[in-house]
Amino acid sequence: MLEIRNLTKIYEDGTLAVDNVSFTVPDGEFLVVIGLSGSGKSTLLRCINRLIDPTEGEIIWNGEDLAKLEGDDLRHARRKIGMVFQHFNLVDRSSVLTNILTGRLGYSKTWPTMLHRFPKVDREKAWQTLERLGIEDQAHKLARELSGGQQQRVGIARALMQDPELMLADEPVASLDPVLAHSILQHLEDLNQEDGLTIICSLHYLDLVQRYSTSVIGLKEGKLVYQGTKKDIRNMTDEEFKLIYGEEAIRISDTSLEGSLGEVVEQ
Amino acid sequence: MKSKKSQIYKEASTLPSIVPPWLAAVLSAIVPGLGQALARAIQRGLVIFFSFISIVGLLIWRFTDAAPRDEGAFDIIRKAFRLEPIFVLISIVFVIFYIWIIIDAYQMAKIAGKPEKRKPIVVMVFLILVFFVIGWQIGQIDVYAFVTKFGDAFPAISRVLWPWERAITYPEEMWMGTAALETPCDDTQPPPTEPLDDKPYLIVDPTCGIPSIQVDQEDNSIEVIPGTTIHVEGYNFTPDKEVEIWWKDPAISQFRHREGGDILRVIPDEKGYFETEITWPYRLIPDSYLEGGANWELQGRQVTTIGDWEFSAELKMAIEKMIETIFIGMMATFFGIILALPFSFLAARNLMRTNAFTLGIYYLVRGVLNIIRSIEPLIWAIIAIIIVGLGPFAGILALVVHSIAALGKLYSEAIESIDPGPIEAVTATGANWLQTIMYGVIPQIIPPFVSFTIYRWDINIRMSTVIGLVGGGGIGYLLTQWIRMLDYSAAGIAVWFIAITVALLDYISAEIRERFV
Repeated sequence: MLEIRNLTKIYEDGTLAVDNVSFTVPDGEFLVVIGLSGSGKSTLLRCINRLIDPTEGEIIWNGEDLAKLEGDDLRHARRKIGMVFQHFNLVDRSSVLTNILTGRLGYSKTWPTMLHRFPKVDREKAWQTLERLGIEDQAHKLARELSGGQQQRVGIARALMQDPELMLADEPVASLDPVLAHSILQHLEDLNQEDGLTIICSLHYLDLVQRYSTSVIGLKEGKLVYQGTKKDIRNMTDEEFKLIYGEEAIRISDTSLEGSLGEVVEQ
Repeated sequence: MKSKKSQIYKEASTLPSIVPPWLAAVLSAIVPGLGQALARAIQRGLVIFFSFISIVGLLIWRFTDAAPRDEGAFDIIRKAFRLEPIFVLISIVFVIFYIWIIIDAYQMAKIAGKPEKRKPIVVMVFLILVFFVIGWQIGQIDVYAFVTKFGDAFPAISRVLWPWERAITYPEEMWMGTAALETPCDDTQPPPTEPLDDKPYLIVDPTCGIPSIQVDQEDNSIEVIPGTTIHVEGYNFTPDKEVEIWWKDPAISQFRHREGGDILRVIPDEKGYFETEITWPYRLIPDSYLEGGANWELQGRQVTTIGDWEFSAELKMAIEKMIETIFIGMMATFFGIILALPFSFLAARNLMRTNAFTLGIYYLVRGVLNIIRSIEPLIWAIIAIIIVGLGPFAGILALVVHSIAALGKLYSEAIESIDPGPIEAVTATGANWLQTIMYGVIPQIIPPFVSFTIYRWDINIRMSTVIGLVGGGGIGYLLTQWIRMLDYSAAGIAVWFIAITVALLDYISAEIRERFV
C-alpha cells in the first residue's frame, strides 16, 4: 500500500507545484491522476520515486518512508518502482535491447555493466519481455528508429525489467494517437490485472480514465480537489468537473453515455 | 525595457532645440557634435564627436609619420602633401565632413520638435569614406606596384606550382685524373704519370717548373711574371663531358685553374682524350710548405651522372616530415581528447549548477578555457619551444594546449545540450551514478564527441604545418627553411604535400563523420 501524507513541493523559484496532498493507493489499484497541464501531476509522480525531492510530507510504501531514503536505500526502493514517460525517455542512440536491459541496472553489479555485460538470466528476461510486448523483432534496432507506439512499449518493457511492484506512468499516451493510446493502456491494464501491479497513471482524456481506471484523483494548482472511483467518474457532476478543469472548461460530450468520448477543451 | 527607452527617445525628439539653429552651427564648428546634441539629437552628436576626434587623431598621426623631420603644422602638412598626394584627398574629404557637421547642426536645430527626419546616410557615407582613405594610407596599399610587379612572382610561383623536376635526381660521380708536378726543377723531378687502363689520368710536360710570380711595383701596382707553360694531355675521360682543371698546391688547398680570369673547361673527344696548354698560376703559399721543394698536383675533374634517376633528398625529406606532421596532429588530438574530457564535464553548466561551489568551478574552468583558446597555437608553440626546445614535441605541446581548450568547450556544449529525459529514466530504474552516466549520458554524447574530435584532428594536422613555421617540427619547418633559401621548387614540393594531405584528410573525416554520426 502506498500512502501519501501531506506532500508538498516548492521549487527553487518559489513555484508551489504540489500543495499538501494526501491520499492512499491500495495494492493492485489502477489509480489515474487527472488535471490540467501544470496542475502538479508530473511533480507528484516524480516525488514518489524521488526523481524530485519533496519539500515536505511522507511517502509511506510497504512501511517505509520513501521521502527519507538516501543513497543505496533509495536506489533499492526505486528498483521496485517502474516508470513510463510521456516522451518515452529512451536513449535514442542505443539499441532497443540495451534500453530494456537498462531496467536491470539497479540489480546488477556496477563494473560488468560498464562493459555492457548483463547476466544471462537478465538477457533471457529481456527477450521474454520483448515478446510479451510484441516488439521482439525490433530488438536490435536503435530506439530512435521505432515509431512512437513501439517506443512506448520499449519504455514499458524497460520498467517491467525492474520486476516492479508499483508502476508510475506520466501521461504515457499523450504523445500517441487514440488507437495506440488504447493499445498502450491495455498493456498497463494487463499488467494491473494479470500481475497485480499497482499503477499510478496521469491521463488527459476522460474516456480513457473511465475505461481503465479503478480510482481517480484530480489535481488543480497542486491541490487535491477530487477523489473518486471509476463509477464516480462516470457520474461526475459539472461542479466537480469545473473544480478540476476550471470555470472556462466545457465538456464536449455527455460522459454518462458509455463508450463516448469525454474531452476537455479550454476556451 | 527597450520599448521604454525608445519611448523616452521619441518624447525627447518632440521637444524643440535648446539653442537657435545659427548657434548650433557655431557650437558644432567649435566642438563638432555639440550643436546636434543641443538640438536634442544626443546620439547623433556623440557619434559625430567621437568620429571627428578619432579622425583628427588618425590624421595627426599619419601626417607626422609622413613628415617626421618637419616642425610646425603648416610645414608638416605641406611636406606630407608633396610626399604622398593621397593626403590631399584625405584632407578634402575631411574638410567636407567638417562643413557637413556644421550644416547638419543648423538643420537639426531647425527641425527639432518637428516630425521631419534627417537621415544620417550622408554622414555615414563620409565617415566610411574618410576611414577608408586613411586605412588605404595606413595600409600602404599600392595597387600600381601590385599590378606592375606581379610578373616578378611568376618564376617563384611556377616553381611552387610545378616543383616535380626537383623530386627526382640522377646520381653523380666524379671522375678525376691527376698528374704530379714539382717546383723548382731539380734532380728529383717527378716521373711522368703511369698510364692507367680504366681510370682517367693526366700527362703533363714538363713535370717541373716555376709558378707565376707577383711583383709589387713602386706605384703600388702588381706585375705578374708568368710561370712555366705546361702542356696537359688527358686520357680515359668520359667522352663529350666537360672536364674542369683543378690544382692542389703544396699547402693541400685545391682550387680551379683560371686562364685569363675564366674557369678552364675542356671537352674530351670521343676517345676521352683532350689536350690543352696552361700557365702555372700564382699562389701565395707559406714558406714552411716550400722547404726542400714543393709538390703540386694537377687534376682533371669530370662529373657524370651514372645509372637511373632516383627520388631526390628533398622529396624524401618532405615525405618524412609530412608523416611527422600527421603524427604531431594525431598525438596532439589524442592527448587533447584525454585531457579535455575531465574539463568538459567541469565546464558543463547542467552538471555544475547544483550548488554555488560547483558553479564557481564552472565559471573558473570556462574562463580558463576561453583564455587558452583565444591564444593562437603559434604562440603556444613559441612558449613550448622555450621549454622543450625546437622539434615535434614543442609542436605537440602547443596543439595539445589549444586542443584542450577548443575540445573542452565543444564537448561541454555537447554535454549541456543532452536530453535530460533518458537520464531521468535511467535514474528511475535504481541505477547508480556511474551507471546513469554510462547508460544515460554517454550514448547521447558519443556522436557529437566523435564529430568534434574528427573536426579537431583535421584542424590539428592543418595547424601542425603552421606550427612548424616557428620551429615546432613537421613539414612547416622545412617549408620555411626552403623559402628562406629561395629554393622554391623544394618549397613547392612541401606545399603540394600539405595540400594533398589536407584534401585527403578532409575527405576521410567527412567519410568517418558520415558513418559514425
